[in-house]
Amino acid sequence: MSTKYKYTNNELMAVSASRFLRDGDNVVVGLGLPQIASCLAKATHAPNLNIIYEIGVINPEVKEMGVGIADPRLWYNCDHFTSFLGTMGQTLQRGMVDVGFLGGLQVDKFGNINSTLIKTDLGKRHFNGSGGAADIACFAKRLLVIVKHEKRKLVEKVDFLTSVGWLNGGNSRQKEGLPVCEEIKIITNLCVFAFSNDRQIKIETIHPGVSKQSIIENTGFEIDIPDNIAITSEPTDEEILLLRNNIDPMRMYIG
Amino acid sequence: MKNKRLELSEAVKEVPENGCSISFGGFAITRNPIAFVNEMIRQKKKSLDIYQVIAGMDTELLVGAGSVKSLSYSAGSLDRFGRFERINEAINKGEIDVREYTLLSLEMRFLAGSMGIPFIPNKSLLGTDMLNDLIVKNDDAIRIEISPFDNERYVYLKQLQPDIVVIHAQYADEKGNIIIEGPSWDLEVAKSAKKLYVTVEKIVSSEYIKRHCEKVVIPSVFTHAVIEVPFGAFPTAVYKAYDYDSEFLTYYAKINKNAGDFNNYLNEYVYGTRNHDDFLNKTGGFSRLKLIIADPVSGY
Repeated sequence: MSTKYKYTNNELMAVSASRFLRDGDNVVVGLGLPQIASCLAKATHAPNLNIIYEIGVINPEVKEMGVGIADPRLWYNCDHFTSFLGTMGQTLQRGMVDVGFLGGLQVDKFGNINSTLIKTDLGKRHFNGSGGAADIACFAKRLLVIVKHEKRKLVEKVDFLTSVGWLNGGNSRQKEGLPVCEEIKIITNLCVFAFSNDRQIKIETIHPGVSKQSIIENTGFEIDIPDNIAITSEPTDEEILLLRNNIDPMRMYIG
Repeated sequence: MKNKRLELSEAVKEVPENGCSISFGGFAITRNPIAFVNEMIRQKKKSLDIYQVIAGMDTELLVGAGSVKSLSYSAGSLDRFGRFERINEAINKGEIDVREYTLLSLEMRFLAGSMGIPFIPNKSLLGTDMLNDLIVKNDDAIRIEISPFDNERYVYLKQLQPDIVVIHAQYADEKGNIIIEGPSWDLEVAKSAKKLYVTVEKIVSSEYIKRHCEKVVIPSVFTHAVIEVPFGAFPTAVYKAYDYDSEFLTYYAKINKNAGDFNNYLNEYVYGTRNHDDFLNKTGGFSRLKLIIADPVSGY
């Protein structure tokens, strides 16, 4: 049941991300597509989703998008205010968070993320840093990484390992001492990646109209695409209308 | 009980001239003790060791002013306005000794400090390059150990009790009972301080505190000094008091991209102003401030 509307890449990514969420999940989100995807899930198939921001805000009902989670616009009509300890310690570290959303400068073939620095010929170039991302990667049961599909962003090995995915593959994450992670998925503007049981990256679906060649050309590691690869489900009319009319009417994030 | 009220310039005079460990309560563009930090820059404080879970504009200003020797933090930005380019450049050029943590691992160092225990175990640095860098620098705040209770690997994090912590809140009384409205990410940091300074929008009566004691998140036992500075977090936001000033932050996110423009900014807005009132007049005065006063329902 695909939509009659012409949708943007960001709308497709938000819809795909929202479908990763299950009713009753506790989810730690940041601004942008994660926030949009969580609102969409809550408005459709997951009305009992609990949305948590690291700054200490639980279950807001945002009516205006803001500039970041430090923006009181994102705290509107919440259930509870707490501290970093209440969100990242007593909820996330305790093991109560089902899904964590992550983004970053680079993601590698084991789902490890770099949000700290890029190595260039002129030396290191430092960006914003890890924040709660590494904590989320450590403790959330399922991880959803959202990243733009570019060769310099989807890399063989990250320049700096900020947040641990499957570390070096196999059981290396477990051996390092990190808690059990059930699932990691990576959503890009071209496809959805998942991992095999032995932590090898694979393509789960490719987005409608995307060629295999463009994925291969824009990926910084070798990737095999089987002939019978599934196509990512398109948004429904309901999802598109919710995104445009209710969730991001200013179109700050859905494009 | 003791009256802990101080004037801003007196309070800042208590910060050692040449080095101390210090933490600020700001988070990105919200509830930053900007008035206190600007006065620290005017009084030319140097060699600070700053610890901040998520950096705010407070720390960025001090790094840009050359007041900082080391910075332990997990991240920070001006949100969608831009990056902390003074911090990033100082790290790129090796001008400050940076120690990077995860949000929770640094928060737990403050938590241990607030409870007076020597260390606390946490897993979230495991496998990261932040941990590798701390090991390379022989940082004595971390040790990788096997817990005797579950035989699991942990990073044992040393407690942290900064010499000085400065936060900005909506209200306190003269005894130092502090009311924070909205999320209180800075609670453990505040309680870990050897000396906690709080700048507030308004000093309220102890009668008000007793009538609303459920709103007090930090009781006076933790507080060293209370300083009344209306709009003391400007241009950052204070929930239920005022919004951030997007025009000013947009301007700041342009001038923080290089040292020359930033120094001009300091000369005009910090060294060029005598105190916070003067700073507020320079940034647009009442005609600007009245535009950002918060709506009591939305809080922004």
